[in-house]
Amino acid sequence: MKLLTKTNIYSSVATIILFIIGIFVVFNFIFMKFDSEQDEQLLSAKKIIIESLKKGKTPEQFSSNIGEIIAIRKIKSQTSTLNYFKEYEIQKGQDYAKIRELNFQCLINENAYGISVSISLSQDKKIGEYIFAIVTIYLFISLFILFLLNRYISSHIFSPFYDTLSKIKKWNIKKNDPLTFKKTNIDEFNLINITVQELTQQIKTDYKNLKEFTENVSHESQTPLSIISSKLELLMQGTNYNAKQQEYLQQIFQSTQRIYKLNQVLILMSRIENKQFLASDSINLQYTIQQKIDELEDFISAKQIIISPEFKTQTIKNINPILFDILLNNLMINAIKYNLEQDGIIIIRLDEHTLTIENTSDIGKIEKEFLFERFTKSSTSSSLGVGLSLIKKIIEAFNWQITYSHKNNIHIFKIYL
Amino acid sequence: MKILIIEDEKSLLEDIKHYLTENGYNCDYSTTVKSALNKLAENKYTVALIDLDLPDGSGLEIISYIKNTFPEMGIIITTAANSLEDKLNGLKLGADDYLTKPFHLSELNARIYSLIRRRNFSGKNALVFDGLEIDTTEKKVISNGVALQFTKKEYDILVFLASNPTHLITKEALAENIWGDKAEMATTFDFVYSQIKNLKRKLNEVGLKDYIKVVYGLGYKFKN
Repeated sequence: MKLLTKTNIYSSVATIILFIIGIFVVFNFIFMKFDSEQDEQLLSAKKIIIESLKKGKTPEQFSSNIGEIIAIRKIKSQTSTLNYFKEYEIQKGQDYAKIRELNFQCLINENAYGISVSISLSQDKKIGEYIFAIVTIYLFISLFILFLLNRYISSHIFSPFYDTLSKIKKWNIKKNDPLTFKKTNIDEFNLINITVQELTQQIKTDYKNLKEFTENVSHESQTPLSIISSKLELLMQGTNYNAKQQEYLQQIFQSTQRIYKLNQVLILMSRIENKQFLASDSINLQYTIQQKIDELEDFISAKQIIISPEFKTQTIKNINPILFDILLNNLMINAIKYNLEQDGIIIIRLDEHTLTIENTSDIGKIEKEFLFERFTKSSTSSSLGVGLSLIKKIIEAFNWQITYSHKNNIHIFKIYL
Repeated sequence: MKILIIEDEKSLLEDIKHYLTENGYNCDYSTTVKSALNKLAENKYTVALIDLDLPDGSGLEIISYIKNTFPEMGIIITTAANSLEDKLNGLKLGADDYLTKPFHLSELNARIYSLIRRRNFSGKNALVFDGLEIDTTEKKVISNGVALQFTKKEYDILVFLASNPTHLITKEALAENIWGDKAEMATTFDFVYSQIKNLKRKLNEVGLKDYIKVVYGLGYKFKN
């Protein structure tokens, strides 16, 4: 949920609640005021009636004023001196009219009277309806203004924030310079921007240092490796070794070879990262794959692997031929190396947009998240990890995509060209 | 045959010199561009082995000089793994072959042999041993006048071993020579083993015993 949507919901709910409370309070206040005014009116009518009676006016002589209905009847004796107010409804055509009535008794010139004065409240009811309508309309106008305001806030005030977000999202440590942002007049956003700016600067520097370090190590170790390698070769020419010594020599030699291979891959990867393979050429993928199959014939037939290429098109891509050869080599060698010991199958599918290599294997599914990491290896292999991360680097350099899936003991590598 | 080794890493230089001398070459060396140009002006060499990354300049200068002055001289360049462009430039300038460091000395020796053979410097295109002759032009192996039948891989292995006689050839060097960058396959050494077995059997059949000696765990030796 967007920050503004969330705050909108809160403020809308708060507005509605406040309005409902407001309406309730206003209504009560207004009607309280009405009631007291009406009661005053009734009481002043009482005063006039008593004075008129005192002056000798007979009950029959009283006529109803506008809005006031007066009823006077003689009673035997006065039993109360209190004023009784009551409210009731009467039917008036189709409408109901609300009536407020004052009953009182009085003793004038030795005659006791029971008198009731009533007024109609129908006018007040209408006024109440008006007030309710006005307040409701006002509520909707307020909500609408609130909505417009939030849109304005989101497009203007929050725009530097969203700008920062999209820049962070698009940022790539390998491609981009440290982030820079436009200055805003909102302190919090400026603080975020400055912090992110410093952070990316730091990450970039660290990354560069680390990369240089790896490059230097692999570069500088080449000469010592060459020397170790050639000295060993000369040492191995000796003839007076016992079995144990020969075994040591062999182990040293093999380990040296491993370091050397690893070093080569590291150098290759940093060269790819540094975009040192820029020259590209039109490559006929089908032809190149077929050639690779032929090159690997020895290894394929040794394991009696059935290889079935399914080429739909003569896909031609403009890519670096050296890198594509390395890519293909690694993919194919993996497919052969980790295949079944006997009667394995490799299926290569190629169409205009995808290249899929499927191979049977008794190695279980490789965990996806670690698949293309540099030094992950499955329990049975010694070089799978570095080979796969090299594959990934080349795929990235070509702007292609690779996915891996595993189904019924078949490993599927699919490349989107 | 005289070879000029141009390499600034003295330790490596010594090893190369030692190995090539053992294989019957007359070796001279330089550690800088300047001294290499001086040596080239004074002596005649069959092959120059040039490291491209030298302290006082690039080995590419030397290649240009050689191509202009001694077009018949063979050139092999050696480069570090991260200078692919230099390698390509070297080949463009006229170098005959290249090796990426670190390389097997046996591989270097085989490449020098192959270069000399291709350029036909010495007029002979055969490796001749007692009772065995490998004609590298015709790709034929002859024993006492009888042509032996080998597969392509067997033949390649035999030539590689025979161009490094009396030296131990590691399984790794042999696998790399035959399969290149595919040599890291787990089955490679089994291949080498089975090919060597066939080779030995075929040589045994014509009475050429003990030409190929297995040095347990390490590799193979070709012995006259």
